[in-house]
Amino acid sequence: MGLQVGSNPMSMDAIAALLVERFAGELEDVRIQEPDTVVARCAREKLKDVAARLKADADAGYETLNWIAGVDRETGFESVYHVYSWKTNTYLELHVDLPRETPEVDTVTGVWPAADWHERESWDMVGIVYLGHPDPRRILLKDDFVGHPLRKDYVDLAENHPHV
Amino acid sequence: MYDQFESPEPDEAVKLALRRIDEATARGEGSDVDGLAFNEVVVNMGPQHPSTHGVLRLVVTLDGELVKDVIPVIGYLHRCKEKLAERRTYFQYIPIVDRTEYVASINCEWAYVMTVEKLAGIQVTRRAEFIRVITGELMRIASHLVAVGTFTADLSPLGTAMVFYMFRDREIILDLMEELTGARMMFNYFRFGGVRYDLPDGWTSKCRDYLQKFPKMIKEYEALVDDNAIFLQRTQGKGVITQQDVIDYGITGPNARASGVELDLRRSRPYSVYPELDFEVRTEQHGDIFDRYRVRMDEMRESVKIIEQCLDMLPKGPVQVGSLRAPYVITPPPGSCYVGQENPRGEFGTYIESDGSRYPYRLKYRDPCFCNLQIFPKLLSGNKIADAVAISGSIDLVLGGIDR
Repeated sequence: MGLQVGSNPMSMDAIAALLVERFAGELEDVRIQEPDTVVARCAREKLKDVAARLKADADAGYETLNWIAGVDRETGFESVYHVYSWKTNTYLELHVDLPRETPEVDTVTGVWPAADWHERESWDMVGIVYLGHPDPRRILLKDDFVGHPLRKDYVDLAENHPHV
Repeated sequence: MYDQFESPEPDEAVKLALRRIDEATARGEGSDVDGLAFNEVVVNMGPQHPSTHGVLRLVVTLDGELVKDVIPVIGYLHRCKEKLAERRTYFQYIPIVDRTEYVASINCEWAYVMTVEKLAGIQVTRRAEFIRVITGELMRIASHLVAVGTFTADLSPLGTAMVFYMFRDREIILDLMEELTGARMMFNYFRFGGVRYDLPDGWTSKCRDYLQKFPKMIKEYEALVDDNAIFLQRTQGKGVITQQDVIDYGITGPNARASGVELDLRRSRPYSVYPELDFEVRTEQHGDIFDRYRVRMDEMRESVKIIEQCLDMLPKGPVQVGSLRAPYVITPPPGSCYVGQENPRGEFGTYIESDGSRYPYRLKYRDPCFCNLQIFPKLLSGNKIADAVAISGSIDLVLGGIDR
């Protein structure tokens, strides 16, 4: 019948080896974080394609997006995707580096519908632009808020709050 | 089209709703019948609406009584918690995590404390682990009582009786927690490597007393609503979350289990002493409102079972590693980690990046309600407006967690 948790159990080493083999040249720095997470890096140009193939993978199948976090690295930005595989009952943490001047990356809402609000939140808080997002509005802050507060160089000015 | 928002200037969400109506009309999908110039009305529900249980605002496009489109607007309770974390030491931040999801705040503390412990490599004492499970499961019962109580109160006058019974029983749990931690709801109780206080004298027997009485009370609640024809008509077959929705939107917690998915982090990603405890992951098959209510009732019974086992197995020993002052200053090595925990509403977790200083470099919440709320437009569209209230009640939202 329906959805089962861990229908295709695999060891962490096997999953990491599988990802290295099937995504050679796309996923970099693949390492295991105990107990159940594989951490990897991906170039931003390849993200959309990699995401679609990660989801469709017959053995691992990262079908659910858990969350997206935007991180300000001062020299650049990082968009972190945390996805869950029902088949193996493990997680993948995908880091995508973005340059400081153009923090832009393709949206993954077409692959994982759950990305919609998480990408909006990341844009709202850190100012990462998700190209092709269907509804790129702010989500937690007011529509007329100025700036992105979770950036390390953000300065809180009265002008940022027109209605307060 | 009737525009009731001529003044003041509509905000982005309302503009989006109006734009979608225009687009639908242009595609020829508008419901322009009987020569009326308009048929669809944009109604603003909330943020101060009693059935949203907080400050959730829904911009609802109505066609008569039928909901055509929903745009949730959140952020009215935003308190910059992720920003606050960057200016506070790991220890100073514990009471702030409490305020994230205030109905089951101890579970939020637990998720945060577990993440920092994993980052810094701190071992928790065994007695403290059992106390954590006991308090966590007590708050799960309390939280489900609030969820089911307020949800039935939304449905019918019969529920107003139910909500009083449930809050009465929840109060006993809060009294127990107050005796243990000194606070009714904002506990500030967990510490890195343990908990703040040991159980006071006589606390276990009081707890056992309550656990003995409580299953009878669950029967009482069920007698009130389970066979009630009005309740069944309003809940069965409505607001169905399919297993595909669970995959697509990352639904977790009782909402996912009501759709027949055995996803419970206490089982699938075990933490603390849960692997040693005997409990069932309760699921239902249909994924409708009634099943979500049933899962919560069953889970309360399981929680009672878990707490009883913990009280039996409770070992002697310290509840805190080292001296009490030891964990006040913590400097985890550089690195990042995410730990999820089974909150009463689903997977609650924190992602923390450390740069080796006393302050977190970045802290991010993964909140179950935020993810569950995303499915609202899909779930509510096509239902009657009265059912929309029932469905949103059954999802069990806490806005403190959503807005952070």
